[in-house]
Amino acid sequence: MSFLFPADSSDRAQTRDGRNVDEKLGALQGEGAHQDIRRARIDSAFPLPEAGRGEKTAPTLQGGATPDYYGQPLLKETVWTWMIPAYFFVGGLAGASSAFGGAVQLFGGGKLKRLERQLRWVGAAGDMASAALLIADLGRPARFLNMLRVFRPTSPMNVGTWILSGSGACNTVSALLASQERGPLKRIGDAASLGAGVLGVPLAGYTAVLLSNTAVPVWQHARRSLPLLFTASSVSCAGALMQLLPGHSPAERRAVRLFAAAGMLAELAAGVLLEREAHLASGSGLPAATDPVAKPLHHGASGALWKAAKVLTVGALALTVMPQRRRTTRFTAGALGLAAGLCTRFAIFHAGKKSARDPQASFQAQRAGMGAAELAEAPRSFRLLVLR
Amino acid sequence: MGDKGFFTDTTVCIGCKACEVACKEWNQLPDDGFHFTGMSYDNTGHLGASTWRHVAFVERPAPLQQQDSGLGNFSWLLHSDVCKHCERAGCLEACPTGAIVRTEFGSVYVQPDVCNGCGYCVSACPFGVIDRRADDGRAWKCTLCYDRLKDDQTPACAKACPTSSIQFGDLAELRERAQERVEKLHEGGVTDAYLYGESAASQPGTAGLHAFFLLVDKPEVYNLPPDPVVPTAKSKEAWRSMGLAGLGLAALAVGAALFGRAGGGA
Amino acid sequence: MAECHPVGFRWVMEAKRRGATIIHVDPRFTRTSAVADLHVPIRAGTDIAFLGGIIRYIIENERYFKEYVVNYTNAPAVIKEGFKDAEDLSGMFSGWDMQEGYYKIQSWQYEGVEDVIAAAGHKEVFAQPGAGGPGEPRSEHITFEHHDFSLQNPRCVFQILKRHYARYTPEMVEQICGIPKEQFLKVAEALCKNSGRERTSAFCYAVGWTQHTVGVQYIRTAAIIQLLLGNIGRPGGGIMALRGHASIQGSTDIPTLFNLLPGYLPMPHAKHAKNLADYTKSNESGSAWWSEFPKYIVSLLKAYFGDAARKENDYLFDHLPRLTGNHSHMTTVANMADGKLQGYFVMGENPVVGSVNGALQRKGLRNLKWLVVRDFALTETAEFWRKGPEIESGAVKPEDIQTEIFFFPAASHTEKDGSYTNTQRMLQWHHKAVEPQGDCRSELHFMFHLGKRLKALYADSKDPKDTPIQALTWDYPTQGPHADPDAEAVLFEINGFSMGSREPVSGYKELKDDGSTACGCWIYSGCYKDGQNQPARREPAMAQSWVAPEWGWAWPDNRRLLYNRASADLEGKPWSERKKYVWWDAQKQKWTGFDEPDFIADRPPSYRPEKGAEGLATISGIDPFIMQADGKGWLFAPSGVLDGPLPTHYEPQESPVPNLLYKQQCNPVRHEWRRKDNPYHRAWDDPRFPYVITTFRLTEHHTGGGMTRWLSWLSELQPELFCEVSPELAAQVGLQPGGWCTVTTARAEIECRVLVTERIKPLRMGRRTVHQIGLPYHWGYVGRVTGDIVNDLIGFVSDPNVNIQESKALTGNIVPGRLSRNRRAAVDGPLVPLMNGHHRDLPGSGPHPEEPAQEKIESMAKEPEKLLPAPEEE
Repeated sequence: MSFLFPADSSDRAQTRDGRNVDEKLGALQGEGAHQDIRRARIDSAFPLPEAGRGEKTAPTLQGGATPDYYGQPLLKETVWTWMIPAYFFVGGLAGASSAFGGAVQLFGGGKLKRLERQLRWVGAAGDMASAALLIADLGRPARFLNMLRVFRPTSPMNVGTWILSGSGACNTVSALLASQERGPLKRIGDAASLGAGVLGVPLAGYTAVLLSNTAVPVWQHARRSLPLLFTASSVSCAGALMQLLPGHSPAERRAVRLFAAAGMLAELAAGVLLEREAHLASGSGLPAATDPVAKPLHHGASGALWKAAKVLTVGALALTVMPQRRRTTRFTAGALGLAAGLCTRFAIFHAGKKSARDPQASFQAQRAGMGAAELAEAPRSFRLLVLR
Repeated sequence: MGDKGFFTDTTVCIGCKACEVACKEWNQLPDDGFHFTGMSYDNTGHLGASTWRHVAFVERPAPLQQQDSGLGNFSWLLHSDVCKHCERAGCLEACPTGAIVRTEFGSVYVQPDVCNGCGYCVSACPFGVIDRRADDGRAWKCTLCYDRLKDDQTPACAKACPTSSIQFGDLAELRERAQERVEKLHEGGVTDAYLYGESAASQPGTAGLHAFFLLVDKPEVYNLPPDPVVPTAKSKEAWRSMGLAGLGLAALAVGAALFGRAGGGA
Repeated sequence: MAECHPVGFRWVMEAKRRGATIIHVDPRFTRTSAVADLHVPIRAGTDIAFLGGIIRYIIENERYFKEYVVNYTNAPAVIKEGFKDAEDLSGMFSGWDMQEGYYKIQSWQYEGVEDVIAAAGHKEVFAQPGAGGPGEPRSEHITFEHHDFSLQNPRCVFQILKRHYARYTPEMVEQICGIPKEQFLKVAEALCKNSGRERTSAFCYAVGWTQHTVGVQYIRTAAIIQLLLGNIGRPGGGIMALRGHASIQGSTDIPTLFNLLPGYLPMPHAKHAKNLADYTKSNESGSAWWSEFPKYIVSLLKAYFGDAARKENDYLFDHLPRLTGNHSHMTTVANMADGKLQGYFVMGENPVVGSVNGALQRKGLRNLKWLVVRDFALTETAEFWRKGPEIESGAVKPEDIQTEIFFFPAASHTEKDGSYTNTQRMLQWHHKAVEPQGDCRSELHFMFHLGKRLKALYADSKDPKDTPIQALTWDYPTQGPHADPDAEAVLFEINGFSMGSREPVSGYKELKDDGSTACGCWIYSGCYKDGQNQPARREPAMAQSWVAPEWGWAWPDNRRLLYNRASADLEGKPWSERKKYVWWDAQKQKWTGFDEPDFIADRPPSYRPEKGAEGLATISGIDPFIMQADGKGWLFAPSGVLDGPLPTHYEPQESPVPNLLYKQQCNPVRHEWRRKDNPYHRAWDDPRFPYVITTFRLTEHHTGGGMTRWLSWLSELQPELFCEVSPELAAQVGLQPGGWCTVTTARAEIECRVLVTERIKPLRMGRRTVHQIGLPYHWGYVGRVTGDIVNDLIGFVSDPNVNIQESKALTGNIVPGRLSRNRRAAVDGPLVPLMNGHHRDLPGSGPHPEEPAQEKIESMAKEPEKLLPAPEEE
């Protein structure tokens, strides 16, 4: 509906942020006056049809067994960008590497020195990259230190931040001192490596708890299997990365291959468990492809990524398990394994976005008793009451 | 003093949106764009970072009890939605920086000077209330007019509501009043009326809402979850699972190290 | 009401909480319907049939409040022998003057009476005989000898009423209005059951009733119902007119209407008010309260001209402008379009959007020499010269427009002092909170300083036409940095004061006709009683009685309920304890109660006037309706309305169906503007325009959008123009929910979004199904959010009594998709060739009797009394 002439100058001041408050006349002291507006646009977490694009929304009719509000999402889609699943990948890899490194240090019998050094560096670099990704994804990156303002055990993100900080510190020290052969520095480095190793265990899998601790149906209802999946994926990625790196002794190669293969196998198994868990949550009885909670794993971008992850994992596993006579086999196995890990993380991430957008996923799962009714302490009578 | 809250009686809401406008005006929030949605008279759609009150319009093919709509099976439900200020709040328990706190009035408040925009609260809210504004970077939501409460005033939306659909006051008193209202409605033949989230007993997942509602249809129809739960209440299983996986990781790491060492050769 | 008066609606919700039944009658299911107990979908433009059906129900089932009807209404009055009703003349009444094009009302008068003057309504605008007479002193001729208290005389009002509505059966209501019989009976029964001694029912209405060619008659029908049920003058009863703006009541009280002086005194007419005596004779009544008329006009003239106004110079009555005809809005705009006007002040109004036929409005503006617009923002009216459909399409070029436009930014309501008068006649004072910024000034400031400059300009003129300006008293004190006139001083003048002592009068009873008092508006007299700004009172509800007389001030005399004498019976006792309101205190020999009694304070219920009594002495103890010459509520209106003594169902100017009750299709006295740029559709069944269009308002926006479409918080709530259509219509036409469509009439085409909803249902009327399309009219081409102007679709046609536009019922068409080229408006002629062949009027009847239909008719009745139905032509 644009007309031939530009907006009147009288309106120019007002179109800036839609607050209709002329700063010369009125004090901007409201709670929302602090909101920094660069452009007046609707929030992106819940896309609504935009004017003029001819998008249609279904008219009004409510009713039926599974109603919702014009198909509008109940939840907000996560505001995270690609940097977060990337962090899952990098951080998980770093954590598993640190854990492996610590174990190699203690039980390697001195035969896996090169591997150990590599693991320390991977851990350190991974932790640095993780921090960078996390800080960049913040809405206010300059305030990243506020993460360490409190210690809040209810918040996996807070706990994770502490873990990552600790792990990063330890890994940095251990990596810098990795080439020390003896002496107090070596001992410090070793201790740091052990510290990173201990912290690396939760680091490898806590991001699953992070996702599960949300209202997003596919994340929340798969909370028993998701940590298994992420930890396994961290392991397989760490193993895959190691297969890419050159200069390993046969002993080191054996260790790496066992580590990687076990991780890949566990990843496949955990994937199956996750699909099952997600499928059963809504109680819909529908096949997984149309079940509201499990759907994102079988449809669209997230479905494609999930499938790719499985295929790539199988491929990587095969190439890892079979005798690796040639370097190309190792490389391919490593590359496939890393790709598989990336796909897994991004599949879960995008599945979550889709799941949040679908109101039926939340509604039906809750009606099937997967809301608060699932809690052990929820009274029986309540369960009957709410589900009417 | 005690905890304060809202009781929103949707049976007397006339959908005038004075609450939406009063909230925007008092808090000096920016607009959310101008888009026609075709969803009845709801062109706002959702609560968000700069919409802290949102009126929902449900045109449904079912009659309202005690009403003859003249259109057969039809009625129009009107509902002013707001942050629920849960007794156990998903956003609060998820917030890693401690920006989200519980005030002395029992409300849930996001401190804009602490929030670093991690966005975790956005995914943790079982009602889809809180949101992060893309160009501002921080998370925002209804403050229950914390600034007004501190001056002993009523929140803007409750003040503006012409039919007292939005009632503000002491939570205990509101709950009593709400119960009486439901009873009165039942006596009058509106047996579909019920309270949503008014106590921990009826909504254990959140331990009760400080902003609760009187509804006449399933919660889903108003875009409310039937059985919401603060995600942290279920996190034990996830942590446990992670612990299990961690043990596995540790065992595997040790095992692989030993395996490597055993097959090392000279 | 919930949509347009959400804050006032809180009282409806409170009533509901206390057990009241809320019935909502509207073509659409709105936010009011959402909380109502019963919603009745009705075809837009057919409420008289619906209400008439209720009248019939009340009479047939004897549900009227007998004692009230017999004693407080003119039901027993016998009408002259020559009267012919619509039943006899196919929808016309006796007295039609073919030459003049309106009714001569002698045959409508009471038996034995020459003329009876109406309290309100036309007295001289068109020099109506009867309207111009002095009105008979009641004691002379309006006596009981011409009444039948048994209500049996076939010529008594009651029987005429009964006969007039005999065919408005529930079946007929279903056929005409589309309301199923059971629903109609439900409403009628609920209404009757809730009226009488113990209970009262109230009607609330707005422009859905008034904006029709029979708008005033709609209200009359409701008044008849309420009188029959005994609901007038009683608490919880009555008829509430919900006005469209915050102070539009005030703007008719202290008027901005061409034919009224303050306090509803008529504007003098050039032919019938050559001097004050003439004018007074035309308008006062020999009996009842209107006999006090001279006091009001003289006091007004003293307020205008001060000491210069003396008995010798007729109080400078000659200085008042005179009407020479109809100067209403549409006539004026049509004259503008024909180049007959030079200048135009548009203050706080946006006729290009809010009035009808925007193309003709803009054409009028193009032909002015100068235009002054005062508003908060550059409205569509101010921007007509460079924006709008004609400019966009290139049909008109800005460089060809010669109008000089002045824009004055206006101060908002927080930036000025003044009062609002709301829908219940209550004045509330608003205090200025901040000084206006920049060049923004209030209307008071503007008019005052304009007047001062004009006075200075003409101070030395010898031209007689400048003497009125020279004689005006214009001396309000000013204050503040911008020399703002003191609004309280204006209120003081409106209240009235004694010329000698300059003390305020305490009410209109103290006004004199000898020039010793001045009063700006007699009905407002008392608002500055005791030197106190009464409208500024804000006593909280808890601290006073339930009538709450100490919040604000209601005219007249702070009376909250008019005609409240009717709340007591013939002995002065309340009809019931439950509905007690005012009563006669025999001890103190005066009327008392919860409110100001609307009666002569010390007149006992037993008083009966003697023969020869005049003026106030003619009001008997059982005459609650003191403004009428006979002191009774008029079921039958012998004068005061131009289009018939009884409301009659006429179809709107454009309808999908013929009038099922009469051969006369439309209101014969309606105003039409037969011009190329104001084309009408066929009277009914126009195949190009098969759907009914009705316009409405949304809570989120205000009228033309000048106050709301510049604010983002409101604009985001309703950002785009849309239409409401039923799923059936959408399927039939191919409209996509949320998509675009184009709505057309012969006057304009507009595009809008589509909102498919069940709230506007197709109506089954017999074998026909009629679809209705609802359009909110708030959008225009300037503002934060813009859209097409809905009222461009509507043509100029109006009710004859108050010249209100007919914007609530017309016909049109709708097709899917946006306009493929620029939207068009009928600049020089209709957008489509028109179809004729259906007559809105019987031969010889209608606004253009010399051409009774758009086609030539062969024969016309010579004598108006013998109008016969036209021969069957369809």
